[in-house]
Amino acid sequence: MNRAQSTSADQRSLKKLRVVHYLNQFFGQVGGEEKAGMGPEVREGVVGPGMAFAKQLGEAAEIVATVICGDNYFGEQVDEAGAEVLKLIQKYKPDLVIAGPAFNAGRYGVACGAVAQRVTEALDLPVITGMYPENPGVEIYRRFAYVIETGNSAAAMRTAVPAMAALVKKFAAGAAIGGPEEEGYIPRGIRKNFFHQERGARRAVGILTKKLKGEEFVTEYPMPNFDRVDIAEPLSKVEDATIALVTSGGIVPRGNPDRIESSSASKYGRYSLKGVEDLTAETHETAHGGYDPVYANDDPDRVLPVDVLRELEKEGAIGRLHPYYYSTVGNGTSVANAKKYASEIAAELVNEGVQAVILTST
Amino acid sequence: MDLENQERVKSLAEKHGPENLVVILGGAEAEASGLTAETVTVGDPAYAGPLAGVSLGLPVFHIVEPEIKEQVDPEVYEEQIAMMEMVLEVDDICEEVKNYREQGSKYLG
Repeated sequence: MNRAQSTSADQRSLKKLRVVHYLNQFFGQVGGEEKAGMGPEVREGVVGPGMAFAKQLGEAAEIVATVICGDNYFGEQVDEAGAEVLKLIQKYKPDLVIAGPAFNAGRYGVACGAVAQRVTEALDLPVITGMYPENPGVEIYRRFAYVIETGNSAAAMRTAVPAMAALVKKFAAGAAIGGPEEEGYIPRGIRKNFFHQERGARRAVGILTKKLKGEEFVTEYPMPNFDRVDIAEPLSKVEDATIALVTSGGIVPRGNPDRIESSSASKYGRYSLKGVEDLTAETHETAHGGYDPVYANDDPDRVLPVDVLRELEKEGAIGRLHPYYYSTVGNGTSVANAKKYASEIAAELVNEGVQAVILTST
Repeated sequence: MDLENQERVKSLAEKHGPENLVVILGGAEAEASGLTAETVTVGDPAYAGPLAGVSLGLPVFHIVEPEIKEQVDPEVYEEQIAMMEMVLEVDDICEEVKNYREQGSKYLG
């Protein structure tokens, strides 16, 4: 930091930061589950955990008001409740908003996150909250707040408050906010460019040699954490089961009526197999742009084996083929979209009495 | 410690004076006992209840601590507590509660 910067930081630190604190009904000391339906209310000054914050913040910042809202009220109408809470917060002209901490309380975490989104988007103010990493509020709203990682219950208040307060004080001092590891918040999914002293190739080799030597190393690109799906129970009687075909290989009726994209598909299609014994180049084709389509277009059964399943149906090896198949393009499709399509498709199939799915790719 | 119990302890302390009360815990686990002991001495650590920021400083013991055990009729203790005492982590519980008592109880002789 150069001299000019440090001077301006000192000047800013003279000003006491105005903070509004968001709490649910429980920490707002209104009551437990029976009060979870209460709408947003405001109290001047500190309430509940705000007392602990006030002690930690000292002269750096002052909680000028506390907004309290019931978890159910917020959860049942996130948009309306968010707007109401924002209005109350806005009135106090804060420099920063603290929400929670919510620990592992799901509804509370989501409310804190939604408040953070409102405040960030409408007022462009920093929001500091605290949650257990598995709180659903983290996944949905981490972009909008500095979410300090906390323990999973209110017993962790004594460590959560000082950690959150430390970050508030940094803002109060006008200091630069460091990366997630340095400051103890959960990564927000935001990338910041900076010049590293060493070029990438050198750093990568450095990491690799550490790994080979069995030494500790820190990756610069943590792999996303995909969930694992438990394998389903085996079918007790395949010969009675209704089997459906679902593919990410892009097989669609010829002409691609739903215009499923050849890459990064934004949708999936549901198509009839009633009276269809065999897929041919005249009836079907692939919309997939990630592999050579010649052989799939020549005989679409190669990707979506309708012919074989019809044979198995006739032999009595399976109960019947479900009269509809689902298709999308897996090429470049995001995990979040794939997950969404799958849960919609699965719900429909279960609803229609399908016992098993054959999922084919390319 | 739930909100109702915090309110009860608080109003009992107001009614009788904190110097005239002793809190005896029966919690089955060290951390929970410690949290309760903290609540009635330095205040509610979760800052959620009526004792948030209120330091009553009450003397607090767990029923399995020797100070209390010695004062109970051995037959009654045998009948009411001994069974549980066998399965509890008595040392951990005593240590947790003692820790908060020494930190926060104001009225011990």
